[in-house]
Amino acid sequence: MAYYARKTGYFLLTLWAAITLNFIIPRLQPGDPAEIMVRQLNGQGEIDPAQVAAVKAMLGYSNDNVFIAYGDYLRQLASFDLGTSFTYFPYPVADVIGQALPWTLVLVGITQILSFVLGTLLGAIAAWRRNSRFDATISVGSTFVGNLQSVWIGLIVLFVFAYTLGWFPASGGYGYTTPGLTPIHIADVVSHGFLPALTLMVTAPIGFILSMRNTMVQVLGEDYIRLGAAAGLKERTLALGYAARNALLPVITGFALSLGVLMGGSILIETVFDYPGMGRLMGEATSNRDFPLMQAILLATIVIVLTANFIVDLIYPLIDPRARKASA
Amino acid sequence: MRRRRGLAAGAIALTALLATSACANVGLEPAPEAPPGFIDELRMPSEAGGSVQGLLNYNWLSPNATVQTWLFEPLMIRDRFTCEAVPWLATDYEWERPDRLVLTLREGVEWSDGEPFTADDVVYTFMAGKEFPAADKSGLWGDFFGAPAESVTAADDHTVVFDFAGAAVPKTDAILQNTKILPEHIYAAQGDPTLFVDEQGVGTGPFTPESYNGRRLVLERNENYWNADEVRVQRLSLEGQYDANSGALKLRSGALDLYRGDIPNPNRSVVAPDPENAHFFYPPDAITALVLNNERPVLNDPRFREAFAYALDREALSQRASFGIMEPASQTMLLLPFQEQAVPEQWRGKEFIPYDPARANEMLDAAGYERGPDGLRVDENGEPLSFVFSVQAGWMDVIAMADVVARNAADVGISVRMVTTDPNAIEGMQKAGDFDMTVDFISGGCQRARDLGAKLQASQISTEQELLLNRARYVNPEIDALIAEWTNTTDESRTAEIEARIIDIFMTEFPYIALQYAPNRLIYRTNNAVGWPSEDNPYPVDQLIRVLPNLRPPGEADAGGADAGGED
Repeated sequence: MAYYARKTGYFLLTLWAAITLNFIIPRLQPGDPAEIMVRQLNGQGEIDPAQVAAVKAMLGYSNDNVFIAYGDYLRQLASFDLGTSFTYFPYPVADVIGQALPWTLVLVGITQILSFVLGTLLGAIAAWRRNSRFDATISVGSTFVGNLQSVWIGLIVLFVFAYTLGWFPASGGYGYTTPGLTPIHIADVVSHGFLPALTLMVTAPIGFILSMRNTMVQVLGEDYIRLGAAAGLKERTLALGYAARNALLPVITGFALSLGVLMGGSILIETVFDYPGMGRLMGEATSNRDFPLMQAILLATIVIVLTANFIVDLIYPLIDPRARKASA
Repeated sequence: MRRRRGLAAGAIALTALLATSACANVGLEPAPEAPPGFIDELRMPSEAGGSVQGLLNYNWLSPNATVQTWLFEPLMIRDRFTCEAVPWLATDYEWERPDRLVLTLREGVEWSDGEPFTADDVVYTFMAGKEFPAADKSGLWGDFFGAPAESVTAADDHTVVFDFAGAAVPKTDAILQNTKILPEHIYAAQGDPTLFVDEQGVGTGPFTPESYNGRRLVLERNENYWNADEVRVQRLSLEGQYDANSGALKLRSGALDLYRGDIPNPNRSVVAPDPENAHFFYPPDAITALVLNNERPVLNDPRFREAFAYALDREALSQRASFGIMEPASQTMLLLPFQEQAVPEQWRGKEFIPYDPARANEMLDAAGYERGPDGLRVDENGEPLSFVFSVQAGWMDVIAMADVVARNAADVGISVRMVTTDPNAIEGMQKAGDFDMTVDFISGGCQRARDLGAKLQASQISTEQELLLNRARYVNPEIDALIAEWTNTTDESRTAEIEARIIDIFMTEFPYIALQYAPNRLIYRTNNAVGWPSEDNPYPVDQLIRVLPNLRPPGEADAGGADAGGED
């Protein structure tokens, strides 16, 4: 019971710290939202003070008293009001996120789960057959590919499949169909999502491959594996049931942490493919100093990561007997 | 076995799905054919600022308006080359007194829902800014460049009178061009117009919304447009936001007819692959200038600044920063050759400061900045001349310029060190006056006493709170008095005298040193439409709506003199 109380207390404390940092950090960036907005509307050039004054009046923010602003922010959060976006004024932040979130959830969600499955599988096989040709290919290959910039991969994919071969559309989440659960719209969405997903799939499994391989190699050196082998367990049972199962624990923590990507999206990939997801929105909110939008996205990211971790913490005792013993 | 079969079935289904979807343009239907003499469709990027789409709002007051150009229109458009006001919703304006402006509106204009456009709409649009400062985009009711307005009234259906608390002539272009007129019969009931989400898009403009699927917006030609005879584009399709890489690829592949983003070397990336159809026109729009902080020692010496101007190799700078596309800028701060008529008599033939390091050295010697033992010049206290050039990180053209400036400076014994910083941090430094050198843009607008004068006006020196226009922090009571006088004058010959005197300051005191022109970019294809502006047929492109009446289908005889777009 103490285990659960400690974990819950830790969760709440982290949440408060995150909320407070979330308020402070965006305001530490130099730059005034109204001036940035006017410059964006008019391009790189002169900033008209009259327009800046109008935009300031419209956005109605003030940085005069940080403590009052912090109080307002906490009050707003308590009533689940995320405020009005600066960039998309007068649309509320919740509407803006509502437009972008499904795209990222589907794109990044699917690629993340696929990567996890594929990555742990390849990593486990590589570790089981370590020093084989398969292991060498996987380890060296993924270290090499992992060092490539995903933007660069994205541009190559875009150039080859969209512009040269013309198989897939180059930009957007969908093109000319009317949104709805119609086959043609789904086909439209799939054809638009294919290239960004492909790009993500090149690099996303690598973290899982390497961490799975490393922990599994470690686990394979444990005495109980040797004992199992000596006792004549079948190779497959030993590999999957004993080695992989134990090696999986830290990888699951890694997976929970990686869920933050779901909210953060992938800024660069989404920009290259003009994909309407959270990554671009986050980048945009940051460069526009769109405080309400930035805070909402960061907050959601933090809450998702913390909650995922919290859940992993709670179920850990179920899958790992050692944690169960420690908590007793 | 069973599981295997399921797997196989899934694989087949996936392949089938991909096969059907492996088509780049699912659901795209070609634009309906337009009548002869009309262009079927022009495709351009979305005009909305934000990357998240589907948040429809035609209200141009929103920072993320779905359409910026084609629905609502300004009163008049200032031609940056000739400096004439092109009639649009208004046909003429006159300052009866320095504190009273009278506008004559075009007759026979209708909103796209059939309601007549009258003086009441204009009065509503400007009066909304009085009640709701957020809607006052032109600074009409504020103390910016001229006295605030006191009232806007309709003298009759087609005459609007603006009365000001004092002289307000410098507000002219902001009123004429920066404010787009809203339909009173729709907006007036909404309270604060900046909070209104307009999903109808009833405007006076050449197009009306036809369909929007959350990503692609189709606009249809407005048959009842006041200038409909000259609009030969049946449809506009606005879709997507493209960075320079994607924009260039889309233009090359013909998926876009028009792109305005910053493609640095369009000759190579767009024109070379398709020289017949792809073209660009980058006319000068503003002057990229080196700002010297006039409050700092040595930099406050006009003799030093003049010598420094001669030390700069603008040809090399233009090659490095813009592949030679943007010409070196004139120190008169005029957009040459287009604004030639405005060059004061005494500066004709001397508009450009040549690259002359020998002369720069002589001038620096004469000003008493002697070379120290290490070759660096020193000031009167024996301190070496060493400055920091603060450059916006990521602005590649400006970084290239700063690099050339630093090399040129070293050649005449001055140390200039480039430091790149977050653009917003540079703004902070400009507010606080905490810099030696930086880059700024000087508007090539036509109200020179304002566009050039404000760069020299003491009251336009930025404060910690507000970023204003006099970035060089130049102070000269004579100029302040002249600008005050200009604000008060409607006499054109006196205005010209004042403008000439302001240009004298740039030419003799060098508070800003002109580097190269900054463009207003237009990259376009001619396989669907001709009549675009070009070197042979130049006209300003800062207001995209002006390009429209010039466009014709290819093969059709020359676009003709539709430039003004008016009935004149």
